[in-house]
Amino acid sequence: MSGGAAPLGVLEEQVLLAVLRTAGDAFGMQVRREIEHVTGRELAIGAVYATLDRLEAKGLLVSSRVHDAGASRRLFELSAAGAQALADTRAMRERLWKGVHLPRHLAPEGR
Amino acid sequence: MRTPLRHPPHPLLPRLPAALLRVLLPRAERDEVLADLATEYARCAADAGVPAARRWLWRQTLRSAPALLGWSWWRGWSGFEPRANAFRPGIPMLNQWLTDARYAARRLRARPGYTTIAILTLALGIGGTAAIFGIARPVLFDPLPYANANEVGMLWMPGWWTEEEFLYMRGKFAGFQSMAAYRPGDVTLRENNAPTRLIPGISTSAELLDVLGARPLIGRGFRPGDDAQGAEPVAVISYGLWQGLGGTPSVLGSRLTLSGTPRTIVGVMPRGFWFPDPAVRIWLAKPLDPEGRNGSYALVGRVAPGVQLSHLDPYVERITKTLGARFQYEIGADKTRNATVQPLRQALLGSMRPALVAMFVGMGLILLIACTNVAALMLGQVEGRSSELAVRSALGATHGRILQQLVVEALLVGLAAGLAGALLAGAGFHTLAGALPIGAWGEAVSFDWTVFVAALAVALGAVLLVVLVPAFSLSRGDLRGALHRARTGGLQGRGGRLERGLVVAEVALAMLIASGAALLVRSVANLYRIDPGVEARGIAVVDVLGSPDTPSPQRGGTLNTVQAALAALPGVRSAAVAMKIPLRGGGDSFGISIPGKPDAERTFTYFRVVSRDYFATMGIKLHEGRVFDSSDRPLTRADSINPEMSIIINEAFAKKYFPGEQPIGRVIGGGFGARQRIIGIVANVAEANLTDDPQPVRYYLGGQAPWFGNRETFVLRAARPQDAAAVLDAARRTVQRVAPSLAVQGTTTMQRVMDAAVGPARQVMSLLVMLSALALILGAVGIYGVISHFASRRQRDWAIRVALGLPGSRVVSHIVGQGAALAIGGIALGAVGAALLARLLASFLFGVTTVDPLAFAAASALLLLVGVVAAFIPARRAGTVDPALVLREQ
Repeated sequence: MSGGAAPLGVLEEQVLLAVLRTAGDAFGMQVRREIEHVTGRELAIGAVYATLDRLEAKGLLVSSRVHDAGASRRLFELSAAGAQALADTRAMRERLWKGVHLPRHLAPEGR
Repeated sequence: MRTPLRHPPHPLLPRLPAALLRVLLPRAERDEVLADLATEYARCAADAGVPAARRWLWRQTLRSAPALLGWSWWRGWSGFEPRANAFRPGIPMLNQWLTDARYAARRLRARPGYTTIAILTLALGIGGTAAIFGIARPVLFDPLPYANANEVGMLWMPGWWTEEEFLYMRGKFAGFQSMAAYRPGDVTLRENNAPTRLIPGISTSAELLDVLGARPLIGRGFRPGDDAQGAEPVAVISYGLWQGLGGTPSVLGSRLTLSGTPRTIVGVMPRGFWFPDPAVRIWLAKPLDPEGRNGSYALVGRVAPGVQLSHLDPYVERITKTLGARFQYEIGADKTRNATVQPLRQALLGSMRPALVAMFVGMGLILLIACTNVAALMLGQVEGRSSELAVRSALGATHGRILQQLVVEALLVGLAAGLAGALLAGAGFHTLAGALPIGAWGEAVSFDWTVFVAALAVALGAVLLVVLVPAFSLSRGDLRGALHRARTGGLQGRGGRLERGLVVAEVALAMLIASGAALLVRSVANLYRIDPGVEARGIAVVDVLGSPDTPSPQRGGTLNTVQAALAALPGVRSAAVAMKIPLRGGGDSFGISIPGKPDAERTFTYFRVVSRDYFATMGIKLHEGRVFDSSDRPLTRADSINPEMSIIINEAFAKKYFPGEQPIGRVIGGGFGARQRIIGIVANVAEANLTDDPQPVRYYLGGQAPWFGNRETFVLRAARPQDAAAVLDAARRTVQRVAPSLAVQGTTTMQRVMDAAVGPARQVMSLLVMLSALALILGAVGIYGVISHFASRRQRDWAIRVALGLPGSRVVSHIVGQGAALAIGGIALGAVGAALLARLLASFLFGVTTVDPLAFAAASALLLLVGVVAAFIPARRAGTVDPALVLREQ
């Protein structure tokens, strides 16, 4: 993804990462479950599908249909541009974190 | 490949959330998402129990709903379809419509000419119809603001009622439980140092509000006895006047000095109450005199329980019998004949109906013409797109799907036209209201959201109308045939019948309006051809209202002072004052007695009290004898023994009472208790109404006869006729300066009085002429469009013929002939309709019938001319084009 594109939203980033984490099994429901599992927060299926669609329209994901046992489902994969976007987002975050130390009295416990 | 309409609910999911999700989800992904959810639901049910699973599913459904709606919208708008969905059937409804809307918007943007014409044309029709709806609504549709509206009627008899008659009949009105008498009673209000204000009012007997069933907002209405002589003068005011006076409840019980008399305000009517029209702001209880023989009262009554307003004839007969037993009437003013009861709505608003209905119909016709025009435009578009549509059809698009796209395009045009129409309606609303002959209602109406809603509703209706035509063409059309033709580049000389039919319809509609306008033009011309007997050009008119309690000599003095001041104004040649000027309705009349002619005793004639220079100022011609001059002295106390007044009569008077005799020098009686010597005869003047037959009139000199009543009218003859309006401002200021006790009720010119006397026909005519112009323009656009289409379709045909030696002029005449044929067809069709529709205008016609051949011929000729001119432009183009160019192009 070239540098001029809009940065990823939080949900977009989460969805892209979840597609990566469930690679090969990235159906809509799996993606949703993965995010719920990792973040511990319930997520509406509608939001996930809408985000997946938007990411595909941006070219960050591609989908294809898999047929098994009579059902046909959309399987998502990261595109090169998607990988680039994730990398860019991560790089940006790391640049932002560079040299930043949370003050001791504000730091969350257990870290 | 349609899936069945009703899906069985998902076997594993609760019914309702599943159904909701089914509606929200894009069709291509519906099943897999539901299946996923079902799996998840089942797992949840197994882990945490069914109720928890249900709760989870509901949460999912509700929280997904906004995202899913947004998703659907976004897909429809962006047109995005994921690769994985390729070849999956159908996209959801919303997506389809949005895709179509996007496509239509693109098409419309790409054809700005077509879009602008379509939107503007429709907007004109929509705006006009919406505006007239907004104006006509309170008059034609809104319920009257009276609880008893359906039980109240006006009792009409020849001549107005006097106080004596009303008081005699009070309680004896058979079939009515109560009856009220009222008449106009404008008053002046003078507050502290502010200039005297005129407040339109009604003088009424105490029953009025009870008859109507109207309750005051605060305070009380009138009580029996409020209208007795010697009772405390009380008044009820309108909400608007109350607000103007501060709007506090303390107004109750306070006193206002109205026309010089202090009156106690006892009540305030609620907002929205009006009677008998919205201009009236105060209702005064009138002390009624059992012997009062003047007064021009109208009667309004509420029927007795169990009596129907429509079945009052036997009761009215009893009323006239009672009346006839007590009073004697002359023929022509006999109250015992021709008495009728009119429902209140008809009586108060009925006179405005014809004009409003005529305008409604006119605007509706314009709207129809606009629809026809846009339908023709759209039809042309559909035909121009036949190859595209054929390809889509060949690829599997159903007729319904193609039609849906047309509907969406029309809806977009309609929406834009509705908005533009609402703007137009807003911009022209007050102009239109003012141009309509609806008096006070023109100022009372207001532009509100209902007009906006009406505009959009009308737009929607128009869109449906517009779409009908191309839909019909599609349903009949053979799209695949079009594909063949398009490929072979074949001649399409035939066809276009529907298009031509539309133009014929359009011309027919225009004919309806144009012939109506022509009828009115003729009628109004006839009215203006009547000689009113005065020289209307160059006369300025100032109406004043004084207090009736000022003694006559003092009033005479004031009037003389004002008159002298007015006559001295620069640009004014002479000035006079009269109790009533011509062309403003009947006015007062007196009995008459002529020595040796006992028959005259039972008749009445109009009388007018005027000042000395009245006849010269008004331009009324003297036929015999002389007009008033300085030898006619005011009557003094010394004359009270055997007073004699000089009077001037008109020709009709001489003809009626002195046929074949010399009236000058004769002395007559009746009125003012004085002998009246006839000193002159003047020409007949249309004293009451323009179209009246000449009526006998006596003119008295103010000063000899008392100035009574409380209204006078100053007339000023300008030195140059075109300056009449220019002196009005100075005249108004002069009256205010010289006589602060007089309230200037209004200023106008005699020409405008004449216009008003010509009546609503003039205003309706102006509006209809404007509408006809609009209809002609739209009709011309229609003919032009169809003929240029026709010409371009057969271009190659003609090019070949011209190349073989056919003169170009023959091509031109052929094409113009086509245009003329369309116009003639439309004119013939329209003439039939016009003859029927002209009945709507019947009440405005004077001296012409509803099937006036001249008016119809004029309208036809005009339309034909427009048709020929509109066809000539494309014809010329086709006739002068170089055939080589055309043939090479194709």
